[in-house]
Amino acid sequence: MSGFAPVFREAGLLKRDRAFIGWVVLTLLLSVVSVVGGIAEVSKQRETIARLIEGDREDRLEARAKQGDWGGAAYYSFHLTYDPPSNFAFAALGTRDQEPWKHRIRMLALEGQIYERDAGNPVLALTGRFDFAFFAAFVLPLVLIAVLHDLQASERGAGRHELLIATSGISSSPWRLRAWLKAGAVFIAAALPLLVGCIVSGTSMTRSLMAPAILCGYLAFWSFVSYRIARRERNPSVILATLLGVWVMVGVVGPAAGKLVIDHQVPVPQGADILMTQREAVNDAWDLPKEVTMDAFVARHPEWSQYAAVDRPFEWKWYYAFQQVGDQKAEPLSLAYRESRLHRDRLAGWFAWLTPPALLQRSLQRIADTDLRAHMEYEANVRLFHGQLREFYYGKLFPDAPFDTDALGGLPEFDPGMAAP
Amino acid sequence: MSHVLLLAKEEWRFWLRSNLALSAAILFLVLLVTTAILTTVRIAEERHAREHHQEKAESTFLAQPDRHPHRMVHYGHYVFRTPSPLAAFDPGLDSVTGQSMFLEGHQQNSATFAVSGASADLGEFAWLTPAVVYQLFAPLLIILLGHGAVVRERESSTLATMLAQGISGVTVLYGKALALFAAILLMLVPLLVSGGAAVGRGETVLAAILMVAVYFLYLSIWGLLALFLSVLSARRATALATLTALWLALTLLLPSLAVSNAARFLPIAGQIETGLVMLSDLRKLGDGHNVNDPAFDRLRRDLLKQYGVETVEELPVNLRGVVAEYSESRLTDKLNEYADRRMAMEQKQAALLARHGWLSPLLATADASRAIAATDLNNHQRFLKEAEALRFDFVQGLNRLHASKLAYIDDIKRSSDQQAEKRTRVSGENWKLLKDFRFKPDDVGTRAGNAWPSVLALLVWFAVLSIASVRAAGRIRL
Repeated sequence: MSGFAPVFREAGLLKRDRAFIGWVVLTLLLSVVSVVGGIAEVSKQRETIARLIEGDREDRLEARAKQGDWGGAAYYSFHLTYDPPSNFAFAALGTRDQEPWKHRIRMLALEGQIYERDAGNPVLALTGRFDFAFFAAFVLPLVLIAVLHDLQASERGAGRHELLIATSGISSSPWRLRAWLKAGAVFIAAALPLLVGCIVSGTSMTRSLMAPAILCGYLAFWSFVSYRIARRERNPSVILATLLGVWVMVGVVGPAAGKLVIDHQVPVPQGADILMTQREAVNDAWDLPKEVTMDAFVARHPEWSQYAAVDRPFEWKWYYAFQQVGDQKAEPLSLAYRESRLHRDRLAGWFAWLTPPALLQRSLQRIADTDLRAHMEYEANVRLFHGQLREFYYGKLFPDAPFDTDALGGLPEFDPGMAAP
Repeated sequence: MSHVLLLAKEEWRFWLRSNLALSAAILFLVLLVTTAILTTVRIAEERHAREHHQEKAESTFLAQPDRHPHRMVHYGHYVFRTPSPLAAFDPGLDSVTGQSMFLEGHQQNSATFAVSGASADLGEFAWLTPAVVYQLFAPLLIILLGHGAVVRERESSTLATMLAQGISGVTVLYGKALALFAAILLMLVPLLVSGGAAVGRGETVLAAILMVAVYFLYLSIWGLLALFLSVLSARRATALATLTALWLALTLLLPSLAVSNAARFLPIAGQIETGLVMLSDLRKLGDGHNVNDPAFDRLRRDLLKQYGVETVEELPVNLRGVVAEYSESRLTDKLNEYADRRMAMEQKQAALLARHGWLSPLLATADASRAIAATDLNNHQRFLKEAEALRFDFVQGLNRLHASKLAYIDDIKRSSDQQAEKRTRVSGENWKLLKDFRFKPDDVGTRAGNAWPSVLALLVWFAVLSIASVRAAGRIRL
């Protein structure tokens, strides 16, 4: 026998292995469930955003209708910011369950607004959804372990071991071929629904190809580990227990330890300190001489220096200037908060190479733009947009331009892709 | 009886000789103890930091200088949710919910800064807590210990010998069950220690006992499952493979599938979305900053009539303060109406998820465990409600100051007249109206009540599996 004959022979044998077929069907089913669930969730999020955009606009017009000056218009107009799900988000929902992906902000100090969490039900976020990334990272290895651990042992038990070796026709071993065939079938059952999901969601070609490629590498890792351990041991129970031990180690213990060390090594400023700093700065300004605020403001915005004089106890431009100065005071803390989060994330990215399940999940979330980096890009977008709002209103408040509802049409509009790297 | 004891002793001897069982048990214990220590330290630090921030927030509020009371309404206040003593065992929602909240006039903010958002992301299971170790990994150890119980005797033909000696299948099962339940009790020792430590930190003994009971039930369910399949299987490998598949289905698949289900069939509109509808309603209530808003015409007429005066300047109270108090109260009713509706939806969704506990004991256990640890949705929502009550209380206190201590005539001129502005400041002594905020967990009776539906599911699982195992064992024949 030569060429593909052994492959066909093995495939023929596998077709009659009912337990194996059961696992493959289960894999296919779970993959379909995860993909369908992901697509439903993403389309729900898209609909929510569409409704919010509409409602946000109406609300702003309604709120603004009663206002007669720039300051009031800015105070009462909220603006929606949002992070639309990418066309691969269905496969890895990532941080979208835990972190807010929509805000309504206004021209007050941003540090007081950006940490608001319009996130979903925490009970659901805690357990985590069944998305493709979870399925692939944690469930698929167990499926592989289940179908590969008793590769030889079951044949030994059935007394066919020696017979198979003698008649397989390949000198090395029929086990390797059988292992690869089994793993290949599991891969196809898992990847097929994902590819269909990509087509349905209009995912770009690169993303649609990258994801299965990464998955393939991941499953190759687990197949290799399972195969090696299965070859070394005779007792299938010991093999299974050992493989479960490996799963627990790289899927749970390793990541938990890594997280612990990283969180310990890279301290993150307390959120409460950012908020308090900002609030104290904003509120102290009411009692400070107005020049103190205006000087700090002009240092950042020299273009308004000629309009910086404040004569009355209350003027809108002064009010917004101290909001801005409040942000400026909290800026070092806020920057440190953002940078240390990203730093933790970078370290986690390196560490994940030691823990393949975390690596796979992170990679899929990266492709799907649902990881921390994507969340921080959204936050950067919000900051950018808030800056544009300020620029617009400063241009009206400082030169004391007459209020004109039509000019509000020139307000900046939020564009989710505006700070794209 | 002596047979049962003998069989149990024999089972233990077998485990102690088995490298696999021993190494798995040691691994489990090390994992559990390390996690317990680390979680305790982390929660203690969190608790300390939040209590510290709470005290700081209160003292800075009290230390504010003389100023216009409405300034204090906007100055606002911060509250922090301190974790319950049993949070060191099961932090529950603590890491995925915001832990601090800014309270100010005219709006309800959300709880900000969840620990999860700032932490290194290494997958779902990187948040290892003692509770999760019990929920996810204790079953694996039990499977490893229990799967061979009866089937091993069958494979080695010793079962036939026993039956021939007149030891019934049920006796064999009892012996094996005794051994396994002894192992389960041993596995619960770290939880007992955690519970004891929580009692030391102010938890009631009853809560600690309930916690141990829930996990005893949960682990027993797994023990019974292992025994049941061990009785049914013809081969050890089959028993182990089937149990592993069950573990995969019940602890990994079903819980996350249940989450997807709950999200899909009981969707909840976000705070912003309900907020949009609400804002439109709110505008009809009028802007409390503007006494000339037509929404307050009637209030003004009534006031003038009540005091028998012609103009608002003649009123013995400051109309601005009265309007502020009136509109804050109406606004708060509206805000609470929407908040209550949202919370009720969240409760419904959480209940739907917990009902999946009839399918997956892990979900029932996780739900009961959070309820008893006071780290569940009920407690988080109570935090939000208590924070709101505090907000309303101090804002209205300030508004009453605004109405009674300030002259209307000064109040309307304070934006343009420096002297009038000075006269509208009230003494900082008044800020003492702010109440202390210390978030306390529900009392243990309430918590037990919250946990009950899930405990019931566990009891039914336990009963059904007990009956099934005994019946299956009764059918063992030569």
